Amino acid sequence: MRVTNMLSDVQYAMQQSQQNLADAEQQVSTGLRVNNLSDDPTASANMVTSLASSASVDQYTKNVTSVLPQMQTADSAISSIVTSLNSAITLGTSGASSNGVTANKQSIATQVETVLSSVISQANTAYQGVYVFGGTASTTPPFVAASTTYTSSQGSAASPLTSSTALTAGSVTTISDATTGESMTFKAAAGDTVATLQSAITSAVSAGTLSAGTTATINAHGQLSIATNSSATGIVVNSNDEALGSMTAVASTKVANAYAYVGNSNVNSVQVGDSLNVATNISGSQLLTSGSNAIASLTGLITALQSGTSTDIGTATAAVSAALSAVGQQRIPLDNTISQLNSQESYLSQETLTLTTAQTSLVGANIADAATNLSNAEIDNSAVLAAAAKAMPENLLKYLQ
Amino acid sequence: MSLNTSLTTAVQSLNAASGALQITNNNIANANTAGYTRQVAVLQAAASSSDGNSSLGNGVVLEGYQSVRDELLQTQIQQETQAQSGANAQLSSLQAIEPTFTTSTTDIGTEMSAVFSSISSLSTNPASSTLQQAVLTAGQNLATAFNTASSTLTAQQSGLNTQVTQDVSEINQLTKQIAALNPQLAQLKATGQDGGTVQDQADQLVLKLSALTNVSVTQTDNGETLTTGGGTPLVVGSQSFALQTTTGTDGMQHVLDQSGDDITSSLTGGDLGGTIQTRDTAIPGLLTQLDTLANQFATAMNAAQAKGYDQNGVAGTNLYTVSSSVSGSASTIKMAITDPALIASSSDGTSGSNGNLANLSAMQTTKLASGKTPGDAYASLVYQVGSLTSSANAESTATTASLLQLNDQLSSVSGVSINEEAANLITFQQSYEAAARVVSTIQALFSVTMSMGTAAAE
Repeated sequence: MRVTNMLSDVQYAMQQSQQNLADAEQQVSTGLRVNNLSDDPTASANMVTSLASSASVDQYTKNVTSVLPQMQTADSAISSIVTSLNSAITLGTSGASSNGVTANKQSIATQVETVLSSVISQANTAYQGVYVFGGTASTTPPFVAASTTYTSSQGSAASPLTSSTALTAGSVTTISDATTGESMTFKAAAGDTVATLQSAITSAVSAGTLSAGTTATINAHGQLSIATNSSATGIVVNSNDEALGSMTAVASTKVANAYAYVGNSNVNSVQVGDSLNVATNISGSQLLTSGSNAIASLTGLITALQSGTSTDIGTATAAVSAALSAVGQQRIPLDNTISQLNSQESYLSQETLTLTTAQTSLVGANIADAATNLSNAEIDNSAVLAAAAKAMPENLLKYLQ
Repeated sequence: MSLNTSLTTAVQSLNAASGALQITNNNIANANTAGYTRQVAVLQAAASSSDGNSSLGNGVVLEGYQSVRDELLQTQIQQETQAQSGANAQLSSLQAIEPTFTTSTTDIGTEMSAVFSSISSLSTNPASSTLQQAVLTAGQNLATAFNTASSTLTAQQSGLNTQVTQDVSEINQLTKQIAALNPQLAQLKATGQDGGTVQDQADQLVLKLSALTNVSVTQTDNGETLTTGGGTPLVVGSQSFALQTTTGTDGMQHVLDQSGDDITSSLTGGDLGGTIQTRDTAIPGLLTQLDTLANQFATAMNAAQAKGYDQNGVAGTNLYTVSSSVSGSASTIKMAITDPALIASSSDGTSGSNGNLANLSAMQTTKLASGKTPGDAYASLVYQVGSLTSSANAESTATTASLLQLNDQLSSVSGVSINEEAANLITFQQSYEAAARVVSTIQALFSVTMSMGTAAAE
């Protein structure tokens, strides 16, 4: 074959050699085998999925870090409550055997009041603004001092509310009972009136949610009055119904040492793994007021010490013991979750490493190979340039004289 | 045989050598001229004459010159040029699109992960306004990533659209020039002459045209007839047929022949073919995938949002605003809410509930209407971009290597070898010198003959 001009071949060879050199340099400097999608489309696509997994694992790790202190705070609060209940049992036992000396029993009753205040304080523990025992109603303290009577801000003698006064559709009125430890939540539907609310309260009493004698009436001032019977330990009423306005406790009806739970029983959960969600709160009702009502038991012990017989004190003390046992049981799943979170932290750390290794395998360059390739590309490029410099100037004219 | 006959023969030799030297000189002068086909002198022995019983040769005659061509190689080079230009047109656009889908801090995949991370973070404290705002910010960043990707694709498409007009304009100029050369070629052929530099010029113009679009070349008595791959005439004899462009109902430039028929889809080679293929097939395919993902993602998130309650206890409203039709979804998607309190975290109406965030988070692993999760759908899009670019790159590389080989082969046949021409210089120089020596010898003989007559008279 006639060879007329090597220029185009030389240019092509030089270009190829320089491209190879540039590619090798890029791999060494970036540490990546795949710098563009077209370098390896399959690896690039798989990398998208892997990076998404990494982002999820990172977030799970942050979630663990975020919720663990809150749960440890809750656990610490429960621990304090257990200590307080133990103190109350000791005091109650002492009171039951104080040989009928009233002064002694009164003194012990005062000490139990202090214990109750401590328990309420622990029950209203907040972590970074979140009340840990309020269920999902976690923006306000879950345990509130109870009164026997609440009245609406709306209504007056001149313009009284009536049973046919329309309620605001979608509004919510909640009555929390310190004696039963439960709450009635009424959500007004379109067309509902005060009479509907009254009927709902009656039904709640029948069901045992509210204490017997709890009613809603229109008082002499034209206001809606929601009250429980005087022998009960009181209620707390909240409403966002504009027709009723705010519900306020009548000051003279505050019940000493009585607290109602105004949170709810709903639980939040947070994802800390692809298939792992953990509950991040225990509702105050589950912990302290449902079943063995710890708050009511302390209130009952105080009452028994103030005016009851030794038998009454003994019975009240036994109720506190039962409450203590129930509280202790509630601590077990919380402790298990804390333990699970600690384990999960270690697992996620390992998972991060696994994903990083996989990603390096997908798109990373073997540095040793990349360095060798770079060296070879440099040698090749030098050889191509040297060959071009040698061969191109040569032709017959150079030798003809 | 007379001295005059010998002198004539010697003079013919001088002319032949002189002509051959001129051809060699021309070859050397055009050694680096693009498209130049080397010429060789056509030397023919002169007809012999009879002198009684013997037949004597009458020297050499320079019949003319001939270009050394290979029509098959030329055709192959034209076809390979079409393929290379087409691949390069596609590669150029796709390489401009690649970075938008390459993993970075702002690509769609990264922003989508950030959205789900922010939702998960919010679940640890659903009433936190800081964490709520983080969700809105992440959501808007994702919408922006979609907008950017869409605008990159449509900007490329717009650029290619302009390129179509430019290519058609260039095609029309080239076909005009080829048509102008055809009468010259026809005349040369009619008189039995070699096409020479006129043919070279025409071949170069056809090669430039091949870089623009797919053409077929037919040699006729009237010169070269050119048609597109679909059979649309571009040049017939001395007449060229201009192509036109017009805006179609799709907003794109369509190519029409002289009769006004749309031939856009038949233009498959060259820069114009590659441009059209990228503009009308590759990019629309990517846009559809992108729009589908944006539309289905936004719709799914809105549906999850509607299942919960915001911080005010009101049922969740749309998180994203997106067009009802799939087309244009990626360019128009944006956040529908700006108040962080409107994120529907709650499942029970309380501000502290995170129950509905599980529904929003679940969208990460829930299959959309397309049958893929959002992450998998995006990964498919990334693969498609990479695969298209990789294919175009491979085609470009392969055609470049193939063209190099073909051009080497053509150069081997038609190219000027300086070494060869240098040798020819020596050869024809020596021929000229020898012929001149003969002339000198004959001149001397004439002098002797003339002297013979003068000496006798004395």
